[in-house]
Amino acid sequence: MSPSVSAPVQVAEARAGATAFDVITVDNLSKRYGEFWALRGASFSIRRGEILGLIGPNGSGKTTLFQCFAGLAPATLGGVERDGTRVPPDDRKRLLFFVPDGVRPWAEQSVAWTLRFIAGVHGASRDSVEAISSSLGLTPLADARLHELSKGEHRRVVLAIGLLTPHPLLLLDEPFDGLDLRQTRDVMAVLRAHARHRTLFLSIHQLGDAERVCDRFVLLSAGRVAGEGTLDELRARAGLASTQRAGLEEVFLALT
Amino acid sequence: MPSRSEWRWLLEKELRELAASRAFWLLLIVTGALVGHAVMSASELYAEASGIGGGPAALSQGLSPLEGIVVPTLGAYDLAATLLFPFVVIRLVAVEKQSGALALMLQAPTRFGASIVAKGIVLLVAWGVALLAGGAALVAWMAIGGHLYAPETWTVVLGYLLRGALAIGVGAAAGALAASAASAAIIALTVTIGTWALDYVAAARGGTIGAIAQYTPTSALASFEHGNLRVSTVLILTTIGLAGLGVAAAWLREGRPLARRVGGVAAALTAAILACILFAQLRSDRDVSEDRRNSFSRADEAALRRIDAPLKVTVHLAAEDPRLTDLDRGVLAKLRRTMKSVTVEYAAQSRSGLFEASNSHYGEVWYELGGKREMNRSSTEPIVLETVYRLGGVAPPTAAEEPAYRGYPLAKRMAAAPWIFFVAWPILVALAWWWATSAKGREGRGGATAVVG
Repeated sequence: MSPSVSAPVQVAEARAGATAFDVITVDNLSKRYGEFWALRGASFSIRRGEILGLIGPNGSGKTTLFQCFAGLAPATLGGVERDGTRVPPDDRKRLLFFVPDGVRPWAEQSVAWTLRFIAGVHGASRDSVEAISSSLGLTPLADARLHELSKGEHRRVVLAIGLLTPHPLLLLDEPFDGLDLRQTRDVMAVLRAHARHRTLFLSIHQLGDAERVCDRFVLLSAGRVAGEGTLDELRARAGLASTQRAGLEEVFLALT
Repeated sequence: MPSRSEWRWLLEKELRELAASRAFWLLLIVTGALVGHAVMSASELYAEASGIGGGPAALSQGLSPLEGIVVPTLGAYDLAATLLFPFVVIRLVAVEKQSGALALMLQAPTRFGASIVAKGIVLLVAWGVALLAGGAALVAWMAIGGHLYAPETWTVVLGYLLRGALAIGVGAAAGALAASAASAAIIALTVTIGTWALDYVAAARGGTIGAIAQYTPTSALASFEHGNLRVSTVLILTTIGLAGLGVAAAWLREGRPLARRVGGVAAALTAAILACILFAQLRSDRDVSEDRRNSFSRADEAALRRIDAPLKVTVHLAAEDPRLTDLDRGVLAKLRRTMKSVTVEYAAQSRSGLFEASNSHYGEVWYELGGKREMNRSSTEPIVLETVYRLGGVAPPTAAEEPAYRGYPLAKRMAAAPWIFFVAWPILVALAWWWATSAKGREGRGGATAVVG
């Protein structure tokens, strides 16, 4: 994989500007399954152009939060505001696109067709398909069927699906899961470049990866938001401001 | 409303997913074999009845290609629609749910309902492709000199097309509602078995259940197979098919609260039930059979249409009594079709009639017209007509001059049928399968499609 970071940027520049936002606010988002609260009053904000990391261990409610945020699962309480205006769940597909973890769509179709289909449905150009395929190292896999791909290859196809959509905010659930070290670094570079004109919200359970790629963080523990901010802000809140070497892991442990 | 480009993408996706479905190709191969077996058996019997064995031939009037060839040949599709096609439908709906592709499609700018409609269209095309085997059988029949009467043949084909639409509706709803494809298959089969049970109960009870049972797949198909094109049946089967797609579209919107999804399903079902009740009131139908088996002679029809007064028929026969079946499906159905107003009251008190001996009226059929009443116990057409004419004060027509159905005997065997259905058809399907799933086939079709921009 040899990332060409300029191409996705051009794609994002061309299509994300018209529907941009300044701040998206998630307000008291809660989800209950029977007696179990998977998400309890999650509130935080997302700023235009940043890479926001959703940090939490397995089972902390990251996927549930994304599903409720994207309107793919009904929230028990709470909602989402765009620049102070409430966005009903049915309208959120105009604001954001969520790429779930573990999706294995259209297993019998080729990589090339799948990306062309997503581009066609979302009104993206053929150039953007080629640019994003190239940046994620998918060009040699164009004729392969999705079920023939390795986990890492499949992950990159799913990422490409997300990058081809035109929404100003892109939610990616565990984007680095299944990628090796080099692939992770390359994908981070692609996302970094993409984020120059598009806001990214990434769910990551590998804290080292999160620290390298994200601008700010939302810490989630047992369905509750335990903290929100840059690493420095979170260090201060955790009482670790004097310890500049304290990483996200120490901060997370201190706050949860 | 999705743009042409969006429709094209949605339809292409569904076509590709259909081509990737082994169940679809299996459906094609198996229907070919079923149709082949059916047409070979039917044509053999037809040839024997026409005297190919050297024995005496049956009366030619009794040799109707509709009953002898078309119905048994296309009858193979009833089995396919019951046991094979639902799996093709369920795969196209349920796999997307299981793979997570549904989450991606729910976020597409296109209205989600369009995605379900695209599935419905492609599945109808798939069923149409499966019907090609039946078409090949009928062409083979014509090639050996067999006769087909286009209106009655196309009516049977329409019946099976609607049978497919019904399977699409049931399969789509089952695929959407069930947690897995296996559970969906069980639901779809349960619905089919339920309609069989309804037919069974209706045969014993009649009444409202009997009225509903007119639209089960078996009963509805029987109407088409008799060359009776009923507007109500066409509309009701179409409505049920569309209702299934509506249920799927309402239930698969997973982001909506449960109550709203349930409400959507209930709204789709309620609208469908109301539409079906409305359509059931439509009496418009057409006898498209060449031998006019569903109609009186033209002279009788002209005479009956001169009677303006409503006819009331009170039948003292139980639902299980075969005389009622004869009367109901024969002369009463024809009277309903011909006269301006016919009301039938079923007055028997029991299901079988076996224990109604104490009721002295059992077995009677009363005809009331213009204030006059008359009773007879016959289900024979000339006797009933004579009664109606007498009550209506209309002179019976003189002997009919229209030519009688002459029948189409054909003492020829369909020698090519085994080659067509057990050699050529499977090879053709296998080649199409290979082409559709090979890299070359995929690239060829993908390359022809331009992305926006």
